[in-house]
Amino acid sequence: MAQRNEFELMGKVVIGQYIPTGSVVHRLDARTKLMLGALLIVVAIFVSSIAALLLLFVTVLFGLCITKVEVKLAFISLRRVLPYLFVLAAIQMLAVPQFRLDAKVIWEWRFFVLTDRSLLSGLLLMGRFVVIVSLLALFSFTTSTTELMHGVEHMLQPLQRLRFPAHETALVINIAIRFVPILMGEAERIMRAQASRGADFGTGRHNFIRRFMRMLPLFVPLFILSLQHAQNMAEAMESRCYMGGSGRTRLIQLHYEKQDFVAFLIGIVAIAGALCMSLFKVDQTVWKGVMTILS
Amino acid sequence: MNDRIRKIVIAGVMGGISIFLGATRLGFIPYFSGASLTIMHVPVIIGAVLEGPVVGAVIGFIFGIFSLLQAAIAPTGPADVWFVNPLVSVLPRLIIGPIAWLVYRGLKNLNEVPALVAAGIAGSLTNTGLVLGVLGAFGYLPWPLIGTIAAANGLPEAALAAILTYAVVVPWKRINTKRQGSSV
Repeated sequence: MAQRNEFELMGKVVIGQYIPTGSVVHRLDARTKLMLGALLIVVAIFVSSIAALLLLFVTVLFGLCITKVEVKLAFISLRRVLPYLFVLAAIQMLAVPQFRLDAKVIWEWRFFVLTDRSLLSGLLLMGRFVVIVSLLALFSFTTSTTELMHGVEHMLQPLQRLRFPAHETALVINIAIRFVPILMGEAERIMRAQASRGADFGTGRHNFIRRFMRMLPLFVPLFILSLQHAQNMAEAMESRCYMGGSGRTRLIQLHYEKQDFVAFLIGIVAIAGALCMSLFKVDQTVWKGVMTILS
Repeated sequence: MNDRIRKIVIAGVMGGISIFLGATRLGFIPYFSGASLTIMHVPVIIGAVLEGPVVGAVIGFIFGIFSLLQAAIAPTGPADVWFVNPLVSVLPRLIIGPIAWLVYRGLKNLNEVPALVAAGIAGSLTNTGLVLGVLGAFGYLPWPLIGTIAAANGLPEAALAAILTYAVVVPWKRINTKRQGSSV
């Protein structure tokens, strides 16, 4: 049986899952979720304040709570990287020298110097990561790929006026996602076929060139077969008179509802709050307050 | 056949291969430096060589977005924490395709086979150089370490990308290499 598992590729895939529960977040327009998600990620990357990141995290957590999905699921992937994350933050804090004159030294031991600035940058690194991971989990739990496609296509629509191929872009992404399961089946078949001819995809301790050469009998047929698939598909589309996006009507029309405006309101309040916190240096005020209380 | 339809479909399918290689971990070859070598960017190079720079950029975009999602949802190593930043994971990948296409286009008229190998190497080095460059610019890694990684991982990756690009495009375009048939 161990031999068989080697060929089963499906089980190895670990990526965000759609969990239908029909909650308010699920019923939101895909465009709302896409836009808010992108905005929140950008803000989380550029904001440089712990308080602001906390506010963003609370917002995402609130979103996760009202999806009726177990919140625990969102943090499974986080648990796996947590050790790495600590190591990275520690490197950021200790080893990366912070040549800034206004940095205060908090702790010193031999050649390790911990300044308030490096502590902040380490904490920010961790905070950003946690916010973005939970946000992506929220998005993937509540949006199916079909919804995502319609959302992308609708959102790119205004760009069509500027001759940007919105419909085509959405179609390309759609083909890519739909093709992955087909490729899995194809790869399994090729692996079995090559193994029956004596190929060995085993995990022996070889140098990387040897290992790569052993994988070539899988990769080359896989690429060639996919190119053939692509050609067949293009012919099939052409013979069905596919003309591209212009003048096409849609089966599913997206509409903004009341809940979308509420979601936008919450998201924009959170983003504005985070930006204000970062701008007015709330962190330093809180830090000073804590220090005065302690002393 | 309609050129536009073929470009759309090939971009989609190559993007699919990139996702497939990442999702099944088949696109990562274990390597002694700890960070495994990747061939996930090879579909970008092949797409660019076959269908031009725009298709290359689109596949690069799919590859970038997927590596961002993977770093966030199913991370496998310490470096994945940096790849959650789209400036690290998406932006450099947009440029792989156009560079590979330029190199291929420039050398194609001399001889097709070296042009393919050069395109593979150029595309792969673009990926390594730009990703590490952005990491350095953000201050995530000190510059001397970046040079070491670029040499230790970038060069073997470039070699693998060149081999795979050659091995796929030559039979697909039926280029005559005088070495026909199987060598087994």
